[in-house]
Amino acid sequence: MLAEALALDMAVPGQTLIVHLLVVPDFWAGMQGDDWLNNASTRDTFGSYVEGLLEKDVAQQLRALEGRCAERGIAYKSVMRQGDPAECLVETAAQEGASMVVIGPPRPKGTPGYRSRMDLEPLARKLTVPLIIANRP
Amino acid sequence: MIYTVKSPALLIIGILMLIWGGLNNSGAVDGMQSYLQKSAYSDHMKVKEKFDAEMRVATEMAAAEGKPAPDMKVPASKFDHVKAYQAQLSFIFGGAFVLIGLFSLAWKPKQGNLDYYVSVVPGVAFILLIAFIVRWGLDPVFANWGKAVKDAGTLTWDFAKIFNLNYVVLGIVIGILVVNVFKIPAWAANGVRTARFFLKTGVILLGTLYSAAELAQLGALSVVMIGVFVLGSVGIVLFMGKRMGSPNSMTAVLSAGMGVCGVSATVAASPVVQAKAEEIAYTIGTILIWGVGCMFLFPTVGHILGMGPVQFGAWAGTGILNSAQVAGAALAFDPHGIETLKVAEIFNITRVLFLPLIVLWLAAWYVKHEEGAEKVNLAQVVVAKFPVFVLGFIAMFALSSVGTFAPAGHYAGKYFSSAEVKEDKLLKGKETRALEGELTRLREPESAQALSKYLVDKSVILEGHKVTAEEVYQALSDLIANKKVMTRQQNNILKSVAKMEGLDALAKGSIEKAGKAAMHDSKTIKAYRDWIAWLFAFGLIGLGMQITGKALKQAGGKPLIIGGVVGTLKAVGSLIVVLMFVKEFV
Repeated sequence: MLAEALALDMAVPGQTLIVHLLVVPDFWAGMQGDDWLNNASTRDTFGSYVEGLLEKDVAQQLRALEGRCAERGIAYKSVMRQGDPAECLVETAAQEGASMVVIGPPRPKGTPGYRSRMDLEPLARKLTVPLIIANRP
Repeated sequence: MIYTVKSPALLIIGILMLIWGGLNNSGAVDGMQSYLQKSAYSDHMKVKEKFDAEMRVATEMAAAEGKPAPDMKVPASKFDHVKAYQAQLSFIFGGAFVLIGLFSLAWKPKQGNLDYYVSVVPGVAFILLIAFIVRWGLDPVFANWGKAVKDAGTLTWDFAKIFNLNYVVLGIVIGILVVNVFKIPAWAANGVRTARFFLKTGVILLGTLYSAAELAQLGALSVVMIGVFVLGSVGIVLFMGKRMGSPNSMTAVLSAGMGVCGVSATVAASPVVQAKAEEIAYTIGTILIWGVGCMFLFPTVGHILGMGPVQFGAWAGTGILNSAQVAGAALAFDPHGIETLKVAEIFNITRVLFLPLIVLWLAAWYVKHEEGAEKVNLAQVVVAKFPVFVLGFIAMFALSSVGTFAPAGHYAGKYFSSAEVKEDKLLKGKETRALEGELTRLREPESAQALSKYLVDKSVILEGHKVTAEEVYQALSDLIANKKVMTRQQNNILKSVAKMEGLDALAKGSIEKAGKAAMHDSKTIKAYRDWIAWLFAFGLIGLGMQITGKALKQAGGKPLIIGGVVGTLKAVGSLIVVLMFVKEFV
C-alpha cells in the first residue's frame, strides 16, 4: 500500500506508466508439503481452493490500484508472476523497461502475513534502475 | 501439453547402474564392498576358511588313495549374495532405464498417455539412484564410522546408531537438500511426484505381513490411542483458538492438522472450513517444521529409553503430527526390520480413517460458529475423503490370511518346520543326555509340583487350554527321541519351560538350539519385506523432495504458539501412556 501511494505521488499524469507487479510467492508450490494420505481428488480440491483464494486476492489488489490510476489519469499495466519476489522484480523491470522501481518497506515484526520477504541484496546487485523504498510514516 | 523433457539424464543414470552391476559381478569392487558390507564379508572369510580346510583334507585323502584332487566348489557366502543382489537390481533397473532413455531421446513426444508415462521414468530413476547410493553406500559408511569412533574410545556411544544415520534418515535428508539447495531438475519433476504412489503401494503390500491377532490387537490399541489423542488435540486447539481470539477458520484448520494427520488433514480440511491463504501457510509451515523435528528426535529418544517396536510404533504413530514423518521415524528407529513400521502404519491407517470424521466435525463446528458460512454436503465429504488405498491394504491382508502369497503362518518371516531341520542341527548326545536328566528330575514329586505351579503362575496357554505337566513331559520325551522339536505346539511349550528357573543350563541351551533349528526363513516373506522397505525408502526420499525451506519458513503466528503447545502435549502425553500401558506383542 505504501509503495502504491508513493508511486502514485511521483507519477505524472499523461507521462508515467505504472507497471504494477504482483508476485504469488513460490512457496505455494511446496504447500501441499509431503501429504501422501489424501487421494488425488482431495488434493485437486485443495489446489483449486488455494488458487481461487490467491486469484481473488490478486484481483482485488489490481482493481484497487487500477481504479486509483484511472482517477488521476495515469497509465496502468499489471503484471502477474509466480516465483521468488526479488527475482521476479528484477526480470519484470528489465522486460518492461522500467525507469525506476518502487517497493514498500519491510513489514514490522509481528505483523500477520506471509514469510516471503523481499531480499534486498539481489535487487541492489541486479537492478539497473534506481530503487526507491517507501518509508513508513 | 507435452510432459517429457528431453535430457540424457535417464540414459546416464541407467549406464551408471549397469556399471555398478558389472563391477559387482566381476569382483572389481570387492575391496570397497568388503568395507561397506563388513558383516557379510566376515561371513565370507569364514566360509572361505572352512572351504580351504575341507579342500585340504579332501586333497590329502585323495592323494593317500592315489586319486586326483577332488573338484570342489566354494559355497556362496552372504557377501556373494549381497553382491549378486546389488548386481541383479542394478542390471534390471539400469537396463530398463537405458532402453527408455534411448527411446525418449530418439522419440518425438506427442500429447497422450505414453508421453506422460515416459516423463515419469527419469524422476523415478533419479530417486532410485539416490536410494541405491544411500542404502548400499552411505548407510554402511556411517555405521562403520559410528562403530570406529566408539571402538577408538573417542565417544562412549555409537553416534550413527543414536542419531539414526541410516538409509531412511539419510535418504530424507538428501531429498530435502536436493529440493532446497540444488532444485529438482525439470526432467525429474514429474517422476518425483510418484513418491506418494509408491508409499501407498508399500502400505498396501504391508497388509500381507500381519496375522489376524496382530491386526486386531494393533487396531484396538491404535483406535484407543488415536481416539484419545486426536479428540484431545482437536479439543485443545479449538479451546486455545477461542481463548486467543483466532479466526474460526484458522482454529478449525489448525485443529485438523494438529489432531489427525498433519499436512494431509490440513489439505483435506482447508476448503471445508474456508481457511484463508495465510492461515493455510502458517498451519502447514508449523506442522512441517514440527514433523521434521520429531522425525529426528523420536527415534533417538526411543533408543535411549530402550523402547520395543510396539511401544515406539505406537508412540510415533500417535505423537508425530505429520503422517509421512511417522513412517520415516518408524523406519529410522528400526531400519533393518519391519516390525516398528508395521505398528506405525496401523496407526497411520487409523488416523486416515479418522480424517473424514474429524473433517465432518470441524465442518459442523465451523458452520455453527461462523456467520454466513456455506453449508457442507456431509455425505459428499465422507465419500471424497475416503482413503481408497486402505481397501487395498485390507484386501492384501485377506489374501495373505488364506495363504495366497505364502503358506499361512509364514507372515512373520519365519515358519516352523521339523522336516526341514538339517542333519548338523540335530541335538548331540551330551545335549539329549542333559535333557534326559532334566526330564527325570521334573518327574520327581517336588519338581513336578514346581513345574505345575510354574505353568499356572505364568499362565502357559496353548490353543485355548492351560498346558499341563504331562504335555511338558511328552514334549521333552519327543525332543530326546527325535533330537529335534517335532511340532509347533511342542516348540511353544518347550520355549516356556526353558524360561523356568533352576533348569540345567545345558538342557536350557539345548531346548533353545532345537527351537532355533526348527524355525526357517520364509523366502517369499523375506522378499516381500525387502520390497516393502525399498518402496518406503523410495517414497520417503521422494516426499523429502517436497519439503521446501520456504514452506517451513511460513511457520509462525498463533498457529506456531498453539501448535507448539499441542504438539508438545501430544508427544509427551503419548510417550507417558505408551511407557505405562503398552507392552510388546508383535
